[in-house]
Amino acid sequence: MQNVLAIMLQTIPDKTAQPVYIDNASIWRHMSDALHQSLYRVLTLLIAVLPGLLAFFVALTVFTLIGMAVSALLRRALTIAKFDDHLTRNRGNADWAPATSPTAIVARASFWAFVLLGLIIGVSAFDASYATAATLPISLLPYLTHAVGAIFLLIAGTLIARFLARSVLIGAVNAQLQYARFLSLGVKWLVLVLTAAMVLDHLEVGGVVVELAFGILFGGIVLTLSLAIGLGSRDLVSRSLESHVERTSEHSVVPPNSPANVPGDSVRHF
Amino acid sequence: MATADSISNISAPSTPRGPGLLVLLATMPPEQLEGVLASLTSFYPAEGLIVATADVVPTDSWPNIRIVPIPATAASWTLTAADFLNAYQLAGEHDAHAILVLGPGAASLRPSALRDLSNTVIDATTDLAIPCYDLPPRAGLVNSAILYPLTRALFASRARFPLAIDLGLSLRMAERLAIASQCSTAVNQGAALLWPTSEAAVAGFAINEFPVGRREIPQPAEPDINAILASVTGSLFADIDAKASFWQRPRQLPPVRYSPPQAASADAAPDIGPMLDAFHLAYANLQEIWSLVLPPNSLLGLKRLSATDAASFRMPDGLWARIVFDFLLAYRVRTINRGHLLGALIPLYLAWVASHFNITASGTDPQRHIEAVAATFEAEKPYLVSRWRWPDRFNP
Repeated sequence: MQNVLAIMLQTIPDKTAQPVYIDNASIWRHMSDALHQSLYRVLTLLIAVLPGLLAFFVALTVFTLIGMAVSALLRRALTIAKFDDHLTRNRGNADWAPATSPTAIVARASFWAFVLLGLIIGVSAFDASYATAATLPISLLPYLTHAVGAIFLLIAGTLIARFLARSVLIGAVNAQLQYARFLSLGVKWLVLVLTAAMVLDHLEVGGVVVELAFGILFGGIVLTLSLAIGLGSRDLVSRSLESHVERTSEHSVVPPNSPANVPGDSVRHF
Repeated sequence: MATADSISNISAPSTPRGPGLLVLLATMPPEQLEGVLASLTSFYPAEGLIVATADVVPTDSWPNIRIVPIPATAASWTLTAADFLNAYQLAGEHDAHAILVLGPGAASLRPSALRDLSNTVIDATTDLAIPCYDLPPRAGLVNSAILYPLTRALFASRARFPLAIDLGLSLRMAERLAIASQCSTAVNQGAALLWPTSEAAVAGFAINEFPVGRREIPQPAEPDINAILASVTGSLFADIDAKASFWQRPRQLPPVRYSPPQAASADAAPDIGPMLDAFHLAYANLQEIWSLVLPPNSLLGLKRLSATDAASFRMPDGLWARIVFDFLLAYRVRTINRGHLLGALIPLYLAWVASHFNITASGTDPQRHIEAVAATFEAEKPYLVSRWRWPDRFNP
């Protein structure tokens, strides 16, 4: 009986003390190893990318400096050669004229061409160095190149929108259309919406949603304008057009149905 | 009067010179051509006349006149670069020593007018003989508002019609114009305008103006003033820009030789309502563009003007002069696209025309008002010169 009790007393504490034993030193070692491995991987990745980044910045800096030098040289040479005067004389009174002098345009264009060249070469160098050194697939690079194209699209679209808006505004004012400003704003926003859709499409953001949204928005604007002019503002438009016809005859160089050179007092601008 | 085949290379006229007077005629009906030839032969021997025309001249009627056929082209309302180039080329080919260029409708000119324009260049006392037309008071308004005042203020010339379509040219004047024309014709812009008065002034040639009385002035084929005004004003602005080194120096205006007769209007004053409507509409919509071109002073002047009623609508001469100068400066520095710039000037020009009509309706002689405007342009020239030299530092 004592033996049995002794066995029982021995076995019970054994059962309760055995299950979980926590070794703190081992856990910290495992965590430290994992962190070290992560840090190692990050550092390895950075080290793999760094030469590419360095190559990118070196290429960009070198080509920017070359661009600055070429731009300064071109500016000086064209100024000495009186390029602006020659061009003005040759082109005469052309309708389209840039907002800056041709010499400045050539100089700036050459500078930015070199910057762009530096960007392209830098990106190529970065791509090559990364591809050889890294094992992870890169998805950022094509997106970056698309982003550059999208920025160009955005700039061009904004400039075109502003140019067209001004053209429409001045033309409509000189045609004495009362809704000149609305027309100008409409044209501006149509071009901007088109630009935004093109930019998003170029960035491959949104996919079909953008196309659909653009189609609905653009078509909606055009339909609204058509309905407004065709139905809602029918009387206003007809009055405006009648008024326009009358005023055109008033502002024509020679009023219609009047002899051009009789000694009378018709208004003649020339 | 654009003649088609522009000559690419200017060949120097051969020497020695004959006694010929080359007359370059625009296309005109046969009866008008007869009238012009009769006028020419009334003061100049037919043997010495060389008439270049695209029309058919009956040789039996004028056996002694040397007729030079030139290709017929689309009629132009004014002289173009191709005309000047052809005139010089023909003068060289036919040993002429003076040139008379007559634009469309020249038959309405008196024989004495042709004589005056010709004789002075034949005598070699003048390089550029320019007519002073006697126009109705409400004609030639662009000339009165912009072309004449600007030419007078900047090139110190009293030529009342800088864009005259009848000119007497000495050979050296024709050569200079031909050289200037060559730049335009070389790039297929034979229809470009040339400004003989400023060319003569820059070259230091003698300019003489002659009253020629009433003349039938051809009008542009384009009925819309917007396109023509922008074209003519743009051409003058470009010419002024190219000759900046000349006109920036102060020059003495020659004494008055001839004043156009006072032309009082017998008719009722024209309706200026549409012009004022155009100005008000532009004031409401073009503020953004005008503010890029005009300084605050001018914008304030326009604001006051926009609040004026039609009866008392008067644009101060100083304001108009500064507006034109500011647009000229903006054209030079390309503040905005030049097409937009010249388009934005049109409503302001219409405002000036409305103001001019109001002033003349109140009893002021139109010629006196135009002379006053030109004098104001002269007085405001230092403003232009200052801003031309320091466009960013001087903006009152």
